[in-house]
Amino acid sequence: MTTVLEVRGLSAGYGPLRVLHEIDLAVGEGERVGLVGLNGHGKTTLLRSIMGLVDWRQGEVELDGASILKTPTHRLARAGVVMIPQGDALFPGLSVQDNLDSGAFATGWRERKKRRDRVLELFPRLAERLDQAAGTLSGGERRMCSVGRGLMSNARIYLIDEPSLGLAPGVAAGLYATLRELDLEGGSLVLAEQNQTLLEGWIGRVARIHGGRIVSIETAEASPGGEAAADRERRAGT
Amino acid sequence: MTDLITTINLAAVYGLIGVGISLTWGGLGFLNLAHGVTFAASLYGAWWAQENISDHASVIFLGGIVVGAFAGAVVWLSVFLPLDGKKNWDMRSIIASLGLAIIGVNTFLLVFGPQRKAIEYLFGTSKFKIGGSTITADKSGAIISASVVMLLVVLALVKSRIGLGVRALTQNPEGAALVGIGRRQAAFAILTVSGILAGFAAVLLSQIFYPEPNIGYLPLLKGLIVALLGGLGSIPGAVVAALLVGATEAVTAHYLDQSWILLTQFALIAVVLLVRPRGVAGILEVTRA
Repeated sequence: MTTVLEVRGLSAGYGPLRVLHEIDLAVGEGERVGLVGLNGHGKTTLLRSIMGLVDWRQGEVELDGASILKTPTHRLARAGVVMIPQGDALFPGLSVQDNLDSGAFATGWRERKKRRDRVLELFPRLAERLDQAAGTLSGGERRMCSVGRGLMSNARIYLIDEPSLGLAPGVAAGLYATLRELDLEGGSLVLAEQNQTLLEGWIGRVARIHGGRIVSIETAEASPGGEAAADRERRAGT
Repeated sequence: MTDLITTINLAAVYGLIGVGISLTWGGLGFLNLAHGVTFAASLYGAWWAQENISDHASVIFLGGIVVGAFAGAVVWLSVFLPLDGKKNWDMRSIIASLGLAIIGVNTFLLVFGPQRKAIEYLFGTSKFKIGGSTITADKSGAIISASVVMLLVVLALVKSRIGLGVRALTQNPEGAALVGIGRRQAAFAILTVSGILAGFAAVLLSQIFYPEPNIGYLPLLKGLIVALLGGLGSIPGAVVAALLVGATEAVTAHYLDQSWILLTQFALIAVVLLVRPRGVAGILEVTRA
């Protein structure tokens, strides 16, 4: 499997505070990696530091073998590294449709209608609210809109930060059911999540993060994500 | 009736200036104090075109607009590019743009001298009557053309890709970066379009504001009032605010005196901001940015 994103010896933090300590993590093409850990142990900081959204970083982050440590956030988005952050980062005053279309700003502006239709198929609730301002949506709908905005891009790798956070259990389960069935069109996925049970059965590898360090990386057995990846590898080999 | 026409005329022109300031402030966190110099530069550009190319209205307009866009690009190059992303960007950009304004005013003084220049009537000198009051062709021409330009700007913001980028930027800078909207590119669009709008407004106001070095300060002030009153970054807010400011000006001039205008306008801002801290946009919008 070719490595898409590689993090080597990455430390990062805010001001004088060091949050991450020498993180090593590689994500292969089409691979789905879970990032599991308690709140405040560095999941969000790891994703944000990949996107260049922390105060300082040390170490190396590479996309397709080239360093992206100095690449500004919007260039990363254009290169296909798309983060769906905690707390949405939606545009509250813009309509749901504008919010979705903004996801196609960097890549695929011309096919935004096609991609929007696909997102609306995944989240039919958004279709009824296309003209509504995103700030008026409910928490679950906002998260759908946020995930949908991410999917509007044709990304190489999606970094999704705790999509279940703050949602009622039923709503979170519904969102995960959609994510689980999602066709990422060959894109990779890093999913930060506190609740590991939500990842079971469809995430290939789980990296456990504690105190700003990766303490273990386990390969889930017979997971559909893993099988698909192995399958692709077998096919690529022959 | 005359008051109403004056109101709409002033509102249309102040709106053009205010929208530029509002987008720059709301979208980039940049209070551009050089916008008045952009206005003045456009006036000189229009005058220069009239003297050296042709005194046809279209040439005069083009002169003002081209120089306005160029002045916007100069602000981007000399204030935005070197300072954006640095510490205290909001304060340093104000100071830098003020410096640029001072340089601009003195350059005009050096090159063109302190005398006022004159620009031709753009829409002719004919007059017509509606309901007993006389309306000059100049006023009605200004109202119509300013409304058309404003409509074009709104369309560009709503329909185009870069327009969506600009609107997204006024709402959530980090979200904008995450979807790939580049601040520099958006800033260039905002500042040059603001320059074009200021240039257009300058030419429309050229019968009241003649080309002279210090002429930009008052339009800058009016633009700031419109932007503040409308709510930063809000286009509908700026349009409504421009109408309010225009009405205040027309009514004050009619019932009190010209010299009271700024006083009543600042009183209006104080009252609106006390009740609605986000200005007119706070009344118009369903959600908060």
